[in-house]
Amino acid sequence: MNSALTSIKLVLLGEAAVGKSSIVLRFVSNDFAENKEPTIGAAFLTQRVNMGDHTIKFEIWDTAGQERFASLAPMYYRNAQAALVVYDVTKPQSFIKARHWVKELREQASKDIIIALVGNKLDMVETGAERKVALEEAENLASQEGLLFFETSAKTGSNVNEVFLAIGQKIPLKSAQQQQQGQGSSGLRINDDSRVDLRAAQDGPAPSSCNC
Amino acid sequence: MGVRSASSSSSPTRREMYQKMSASSSSLVGSLMKTWKSSRHSSAPDSSDGNIEAMQKPASFLRRSTSHTSPGPSHIHMSPLRKSLSGSANKDKSHHHVQKKDRYFTDLDEDWSAVIEDSNTPIPMTSNGGIELKPAVTVGSASDKDQSVSRSVSASASYPNLPRLNKTQSTGLKSQYEQENERKLQELNALMHRVAKFDLILHPPNGNQVNLSELRRLSWNGIPMAHRPRVWRLLIGYAPANIKRQATLLRRKRQEYRDGVALVFSKEHTRDIPTWHQIEIDIPRTNPLIPLYQNPLVQESLQRILYLWAIRHPASGYVQGINDLVTPFFQTFLTEYLQPAQKEDVVKLSPDTYLTHEQLLDVEADSFWCLTKLLEQITDNYIHGQPGILKQVKNLGQLVKRIDSDLYDHFARESVEFIQFAFRWMNCLLMREFNMGMVIRMWDTYLSETSLESSGSESSSMPATSDSSLQSSPVAGFREVSSSLNLQSKHATAGSNRQTSLSEFHVFVCAAFLIKWSDQLMNMDFQETITFLQNPPTKTWKETDIELLLSEAYIWQSLYKDATSHWR
Ligand SMILES: Nc1nc2c(ncn2[C@@H]2O[C@H](COP(=O)(O)OP(=O)(O)OP(=O)(O)O)[C@@H](O)[C@H]2O)c(=O)[nH]1
Ligand SMILES: [Mg+2]
Repeated sequence: MNSALTSIKLVLLGEAAVGKSSIVLRFVSNDFAENKEPTIGAAFLTQRVNMGDHTIKFEIWDTAGQERFASLAPMYYRNAQAALVVYDVTKPQSFIKARHWVKELREQASKDIIIALVGNKLDMVETGAERKVALEEAENLASQEGLLFFETSAKTGSNVNEVFLAIGQKIPLKSAQQQQQGQGSSGLRINDDSRVDLRAAQDGPAPSSCNC
Repeated sequence: MGVRSASSSSSPTRREMYQKMSASSSSLVGSLMKTWKSSRHSSAPDSSDGNIEAMQKPASFLRRSTSHTSPGPSHIHMSPLRKSLSGSANKDKSHHHVQKKDRYFTDLDEDWSAVIEDSNTPIPMTSNGGIELKPAVTVGSASDKDQSVSRSVSASASYPNLPRLNKTQSTGLKSQYEQENERKLQELNALMHRVAKFDLILHPPNGNQVNLSELRRLSWNGIPMAHRPRVWRLLIGYAPANIKRQATLLRRKRQEYRDGVALVFSKEHTRDIPTWHQIEIDIPRTNPLIPLYQNPLVQESLQRILYLWAIRHPASGYVQGINDLVTPFFQTFLTEYLQPAQKEDVVKLSPDTYLTHEQLLDVEADSFWCLTKLLEQITDNYIHGQPGILKQVKNLGQLVKRIDSDLYDHFARESVEFIQFAFRWMNCLLMREFNMGMVIRMWDTYLSETSLESSGSESSSMPATSDSSLQSSPVAGFREVSSSLNLQSKHATAGSNRQTSLSEFHVFVCAAFLIKWSDQLMNMDFQETITFLQNPPTKTWKETDIELLLSEAYIWQSLYKDATSHWR
């Protein structure tokens, strides 16, 4: 099917080792690595997603999380239309860092940037690790700041595609049909044969998104 | 058995240079031509960054590169290539070396077996530095063959007296198998020759002083695996050149490290938790595909090294990428405890199967001190704002603008910014771009490029191991700053000192690396470019490829010397 193509520039921000690169790897290659080298500078990746009658191409900058590299971040979020601010649900410090990033984006990034707050490594909580960032706490931040919010696991793949899907649905499209939510999600698939059809994955916890 | 060395090997420098050049002729001449073309077309000096006299005078700079007549500044140390390009100022010195070496080789000729016995390092058969033994490299025309041998083996002279080498004269009739065999033999010969050279330089027959500039010159072209640990310790200025003092000093340094660790991990020291955690997180993420680095003992060692370094250098602290930089040292020093045939297996073997706890601590200590020495040379890369890296990236851009203006313009059109791909190249010294074997070969050259003035092994010592000195980080910070200032002022004032630095050479290597792909990159858009440069096709690179890259970098550094005058 011939469909309109929309590009979305997306940036990932968050403390070191919260799983930014792993989320991207899951989204782009449906893969996971137990030990992933720290990102230095930033990594660039793309992924196309077919959403019904239009295609979205994500142009992703996955930044390095260590504080020392933070001065490079503006270069990558400056022109971004969307941002994933990632924290690790088992690391309270990473949530503090996430707050900082949200604040910085609100102050420095483009006015209508779409921000998704993402609590990663949910699988660890499910397998016995102690949750250190309460769901409500994150939800509160999301609703105060008007963020999309998800808890994900790059390891199991849970909810990862949904983050990108939700962003894709919020972005103003060239075609004027983006309001038909149901149709959008039912038609969604990612044009890489390794990918699962997202309809099957929709039974996870519904994303609490905050449409402002 | 009397084995004679070919006398021509005494001055490999110029010949080697041209062999390297001719081996790379297509790409290199191509790029040189590009340079020449672009410089001819640019009629007026570019005022924004134009101090490049050579660019405006293509004829003269071409002449300089070929005729060796122009005087160059004096050098403290020189790679062979450097010497061949640097002109007459060094003639006397190099002549001196040549004479000396001739005499050494006379000795060697007279008593080959004695030299081998003197050395406590066996000749490696499977492991080597700088020599590609695999037969598959180039099996082709005779000239191809010659090139591949001479390119990869700097002392390419073979032993004419070995019977099997001269057995067959009619090359046309030789079977492929025989040819390969013969080439392997030749390479083995060259390797043995090279090993003997290193043996000799590490055990000077008259005197106790290792000739460091000679060692740098030789090491620039690759170090045999058996010698690498010892040579690296010397090149980086950790071990003293005086062989009488080596054992004592290493013992002292290793003890100092143990004391440092004991103190830092004692109750008196309050753990810097964020730093400790960051390192802890990164340890399993270091070289994750090499089994050695998943070994718990190794991980503990690396964690101690990085933590101790970080708290002793508070102005920079632990920065990701430093975890990469320690590993070539660690891996190389481990090989010292392995039999020649096993050295390649260092990446697989668990260290506790072949060394004791104390030996592992020695490896750890040596790695710590060598990492410290290396980072001294690139302090600015890891302090706040990483000004060293930003400057290198900028210099890379300016350099590419001169060497390959088409590519530079193309990047500008596509909005490709150098920092988007080159930041990592600088932060990890290109380690992420190559597999570990290639990185280690590259470091033979890089460590030969390290600055001599920091080679006084006394210059870096643990601060007095008292609680106060450890915990008062402002003091330590001050020390760090002042020592780096000191280093800079030496760079600026001492005309008698080296005129290059590791970071400067590295920028040229990065330029050579980038321009290698120029033709492909010219056809790529932004996304293709970034994707390509983040995953360059270097998986199959062999040492000869690395050596070619280093040679190209070296040549450009010589041609664009004036470009770097304002880098510091
Ligand atoms: N259990 C679990 N581990 C994860 C998950 N996501 C990432 N990891 C692990 O966490 C570590 C860090 O992941 P990365 O994706 O490299 O983290 P990052 O945020 O990109 O880190 P920097 O590049 O240093 O900023 C790796 O060892 C991953 O395997 C997850 O969802 N669950
Ligand atoms: Mg990452």
